[in-house]
Amino acid sequence: MILKENKKMFVLPEFGRIQFEGFQRFIHQDLVEELTNFPKIEDIDQEVEFRLFGERYRLTEPCIKERDAVYQSFTYSSDLYVPAQLMRRRNGRIQRQTVHFGSIPLMNSQGTFVINGIARVVINQILRSPGIYYDSELDHNGNSIYTGTIISDWGGRFKSEIDGKKRIWVRLSKNRKVSIIILLLAMGLNMNDILKNVRYPNIFLRLFQRQAENIQSYEDAIVELYKNLYSAGGNLVFSDSICKELQTKFFQQKFELGQFGRRNLNKKLNLDVPGNEHLLLPQDLLAAVDYLIGVNYGIGTLDDIDDLKNRRVRSVADLLREQLGLALDRLEILIRQTIHTVARRKRLVTPKGLITSAPLTTIFQDFFGSHSLSQFLDQTNPLAELTHKRRLSSLGPGGLTRRTASFQVRDINPSHYGRICPIETSEGMNAGLIASLAIHAKVNDRGSLLSPFYKISKTLGEEHIVYLSSEEDEYYRIATGNTLSLDREIREERATPARYRQEFLTIAWKQIHFRSIFPFQYFSIGTSLIPFLEHNDANRALMGSNMQRQAVPLSQPEKCIVGTGLESQIALDSGSVVVSNQDGQIAYLDGETISILLQNEKTVDIKSIIYERSNNNTCIHQRPVVSQGERLRKGQLLADGTATVGGELALGRNILVAYMPWEGYNFEDAVLISERLIYEDIYTSFHIERYEINIYTTSQGPEKITKEIPHLDSYVLRHLDNNGLVVPGSWVETGDVLVGKLTPQEAENSLRVPEGKLLQAISGIQLANTRESCLKVPIGGRGRVIDVRWIYDEDTLPNIANMVHVYILQKRKIQVGDKVAGRHGNKGIVSKILPRQDMPYLQDGTPVDMILSPLGVPSRMNVGQIFECLLGLAGDILKKHYRITPFDERYEREASRKLVFSELHEASQEAAIPWLFEPDHPGKSRLIDGRTGDIFEQPVTIGKAYMMKLIHQVDDKIHARSSGPYALVTQQPLRGRSRGGGQRVGEMEVWALEGFGVSYILQEMLTIKSDHIPARSKLLGSIVTGKSIPKPNTVPESFRLLVRELRSLAVNSDHNLIFEKDLRKKVKDV
Amino acid sequence: MIQDEVPVSAQTIQWRCIESKIESKRLHYGRFAISPFRKGQANTVGIAIRRSLLGEIEGTAITYAKSKNVIHEYSTIIGIEESINDILINFKEIVLRSDSYETQKAYISITGPKDITAEDILLPPSVQAIDDSQHIATITKDITLDIEIEIQKDRGYRIQDSKESQAGEFFIDAVFMPIRKANYSVHSFGNNKKFQEILFIEIWTDGSLTPKEALYEASRNLIDLFLPFLHTEEEEIISDRDEKSESNGNILLSNSISTDIDRMAKEVAFKHIFIDQLELPARAYNCLKKVDVHTISDLLKYSQDDLRKIKNFGKKSVDQVLEALQERFAINLPRNKFSID
Repeated sequence: MILKENKKMFVLPEFGRIQFEGFQRFIHQDLVEELTNFPKIEDIDQEVEFRLFGERYRLTEPCIKERDAVYQSFTYSSDLYVPAQLMRRRNGRIQRQTVHFGSIPLMNSQGTFVINGIARVVINQILRSPGIYYDSELDHNGNSIYTGTIISDWGGRFKSEIDGKKRIWVRLSKNRKVSIIILLLAMGLNMNDILKNVRYPNIFLRLFQRQAENIQSYEDAIVELYKNLYSAGGNLVFSDSICKELQTKFFQQKFELGQFGRRNLNKKLNLDVPGNEHLLLPQDLLAAVDYLIGVNYGIGTLDDIDDLKNRRVRSVADLLREQLGLALDRLEILIRQTIHTVARRKRLVTPKGLITSAPLTTIFQDFFGSHSLSQFLDQTNPLAELTHKRRLSSLGPGGLTRRTASFQVRDINPSHYGRICPIETSEGMNAGLIASLAIHAKVNDRGSLLSPFYKISKTLGEEHIVYLSSEEDEYYRIATGNTLSLDREIREERATPARYRQEFLTIAWKQIHFRSIFPFQYFSIGTSLIPFLEHNDANRALMGSNMQRQAVPLSQPEKCIVGTGLESQIALDSGSVVVSNQDGQIAYLDGETISILLQNEKTVDIKSIIYERSNNNTCIHQRPVVSQGERLRKGQLLADGTATVGGELALGRNILVAYMPWEGYNFEDAVLISERLIYEDIYTSFHIERYEINIYTTSQGPEKITKEIPHLDSYVLRHLDNNGLVVPGSWVETGDVLVGKLTPQEAENSLRVPEGKLLQAISGIQLANTRESCLKVPIGGRGRVIDVRWIYDEDTLPNIANMVHVYILQKRKIQVGDKVAGRHGNKGIVSKILPRQDMPYLQDGTPVDMILSPLGVPSRMNVGQIFECLLGLAGDILKKHYRITPFDERYEREASRKLVFSELHEASQEAAIPWLFEPDHPGKSRLIDGRTGDIFEQPVTIGKAYMMKLIHQVDDKIHARSSGPYALVTQQPLRGRSRGGGQRVGEMEVWALEGFGVSYILQEMLTIKSDHIPARSKLLGSIVTGKSIPKPNTVPESFRLLVRELRSLAVNSDHNLIFEKDLRKKVKDV
Repeated sequence: MIQDEVPVSAQTIQWRCIESKIESKRLHYGRFAISPFRKGQANTVGIAIRRSLLGEIEGTAITYAKSKNVIHEYSTIIGIEESINDILINFKEIVLRSDSYETQKAYISITGPKDITAEDILLPPSVQAIDDSQHIATITKDITLDIEIEIQKDRGYRIQDSKESQAGEFFIDAVFMPIRKANYSVHSFGNNKKFQEILFIEIWTDGSLTPKEALYEASRNLIDLFLPFLHTEEEEIISDRDEKSESNGNILLSNSISTDIDRMAKEVAFKHIFIDQLELPARAYNCLKKVDVHTISDLLKYSQDDLRKIKNFGKKSVDQVLEALQERFAINLPRNKFSID
């Protein structure tokens, strides 16, 4: 990249920007607009008039700090106050008050919202923008037809089609259509208007003539339309009632184009309807149909609905504005009602009395709590957090559904270039529907995605950055930057690969308009963390970028040796690190506080986060990196956060890997690791689990938190303090009580016990009439209690706690069954942990840390991992860190390989390690078996790879069931670990058992271990008494269920036995 | 055979230190050469020594820390830069050398502001910190930090279970492995007639013991592992001799126990082996089944005379049974009941 020296420094945009910009727009623009649009409200007699001064609204500072909101499970929100005026016409009395409108959750500095103590994020939706789209389709007979679809911003859609016989239809439903003429007439146009205003009057005339016998006028059209809509037969005559019904049910069915829809429609159809006309007009229809005829003749263009120019981003601002509108509508109705009653009863009322804060607060609470685009923030690591904010979803209200979405909408479109990442999307059913914003992409006010380019100005030779939408860049020749002309002089003559009209061409440099600004411009932040990305297959790169988001923050993280240079920016923008925002000096420093002495002699205290829980149960922790007395510059790093080192994202560790088979333990991508990873705490992570218990007031009285639980053994209660809560700092194991709670029970229950009655009669002693309902550590849970917290509900009276949260921290070392992965989609499960002396070792005695399967590379085509691990090895020896930009192949052929080999060679020379680079097998080395001392037959690829431990850990998954709950209907064991479910013996498992011929085991699986109730209940008794296990001789419950279901469909089934001897029939009831 | 070879290796194997380097306080390096070995021996010794160096050497580490007023390790103390967990991690890293196998106690009692390093640990006389500059914590206020620590000597590593810990008590995962890295290489020399090998051993230690000491300890541990073999062999020789001299005399206790166990195992096994395994002819088989002889152990209850008394069970059948038993299980049935003992 050739940069002129006078050019401004090239900086990356802030990654969380899309969220901030959206919310800013809502607060500063949409909120005022909606409030100012709030209508004047009068009663029927126009006696009382109510109005708002929306432009003078005030938002209060949140009453609690954001961190406290998280602690206390509150919502971080601000109250909205708007001045209102109530005027009585009769006496001219004017009352002005500032009224509380409700609270609006605020976005914090990380771009998230805190709702009930949980971090949530509103993701951007990407959907088809309103407007008209022409397309060619095949009808059910296989004939090609042209269609024109008008998509509304709010409401239904209008679809017109022209068939081979030049007839034009309007689709009413999937299999009902009506001639366009009828609709046009019914909308109030007459034939003259139509013929005058179209380019192809002949066609319209012919259409009209075809219909002429029965449809002549507006009335006829209405009747015909009515017939078609409601399939009413017979002789219908025009009447006002029909007209009215059609008006309300059909025409007035909201079809709002909105501002963008109107603009798009005007543009496409070349209309000049004013921009504030948000509804569809008859003349729009006429123009649309006219264009459709043109399309049929090959004039005009068909639209690609998957092109980004036809899709727009609905950001936080739009979503919130919609909710605000809803709330204000509801409020308006409410005010209107009150004003009416007030005016009728001649009562006095104040503006404050008219407005309640309920509608706004509840609507916003509902939106943030349950809207499908307001999501639980993925906080596994800083990268996950940041990517979540930059996600674009096609799902959600007004969008697609994952089951019906076609392949086309999920596919990559040329217009995605530089706007939506072609790599990062989820796997499985959401593939292509959940996308990620490219690094440099921006969203403009109209919701289109913009990508920056350098404009090449021929006269000045200067380049400046221009943001283009996909609509615009289609008509420019944009150099893709695949090859770089290094010599400035001859650049003019050279041809370069370029993009023009969605195609790749080789164009002379002279004709180029724009060029891309950054090699990572096309990718999302997750993808751009993959070094040697260009050497990976896209499918594996996708997995790589997705799996980085699942990496668990480690207790001792490490920077990657081979990276891409974006690590620091991501760490910074994720908000996990602490950065000084002013110049100054460190006055005081400890684990929790950093005090900065500013230049104006003031001190600022910064509190760091100490071992806190994230949404995904990982641990958030900040540790200072400065020292006392150090002078600071603005923007200097003060503390490292979770998974960052020196201000760079550090999701894993650099470990020595070897690609070789080892006793079959790396079959199917399994991975062998050395014990070193355990005892040196290389893959040790912290997990903080929150356990909560509610305290209810039952009909028998409130539940009590106490230490005295007579029902339980004192051993499990040993950690409780006098109040009945677990002491922070205690080490708890499965079964230990965290919160001792007693629930009062109906006295009758205890009275039923005979001795209870007796005792009560004799001494008046009340037998224990409580039931223990303690919070216990569930199976698999263990660790250190780090916090116990009372949670008070916002709505109820203060000081009445109704929930207790207990936080337990677990330290987890890597173990067999944990998932590990690199950044190239190379993932595996730990299959065996070997002592270091058993691991294969290098020629200098260093044991390998991890053994990966060599077969995991060729078929997956993620060669980047090999480059990375070799360069990592060189970097480890030379004490260098590499930051590689992708596509370095544009400098010369095989550039990556040359770089890696030259670095390796240099390392080999410098450290005098000859075996590091052997020309016979470069990048490979002879390894020695640690068990026998034998040299392995083949040289082995070794290197330092950056590997991560993923959140999928055995501890969270391991599960076994001996007995447990059954589903009520089918009586089969429940599904899932959380419910103590069973392991499904599915169809294929049954085949396997059948194949082995183990009929008794199979029967046991299908009956007494599953849904055969009588056999199940007898089983325990027979085990205890030592009798043989009963053989079930009836059908299991699920079969009975099937029979019953059939019976409810009036199909009966019987079980008949016909004896061979006498043909006697025996009927058995099923 | 063995006796023939002994004079060949009369040339004694010797070792010498070729290179010894102290790269830093916590990284010592040593290279040794051992020769001459006969062909193949160097590798035997080399791999054994390497494995022994990596796995069998004892080291000293801090296993426990206790401090008042600390709730749990995931908290901070006002006036200390590091969190408790970070301090514990620093403790884990500290390299110590101890002469005692007892659990030793050490203390830290420092008033800040100060940088606490390994130097500030008040160690018992038998324990010694290798690198005084190893960082533990930074006190930034004038507070006093009191920590009591325990030091143990062991081998391998220990993942601590904090199950029994009280408030303010912390068990630290300990790594007692003073060897950083070990390597060996085998080089052969000599002429075609007489191949000899030289073994080079490279050792990197963490400074708590020198490579020379490590080599010594590793070989001692290796020898310790082989000692039992020498013992049992001696005992067997003794017992053999005893048997010869006193026929059915006093057999060594260990031997009798082992035969006891053997016998019991056999008995259990016989209970589960059916007579079908003997593949007897139909007549003999049916006869035995008729008198409820199903397993080998059932059969063993019968003497040869008893067998003959079974109906339809002739001398031929008895011979067949005896033959099959002898052939398959090496058992003889006694002639009559009284000769069992």
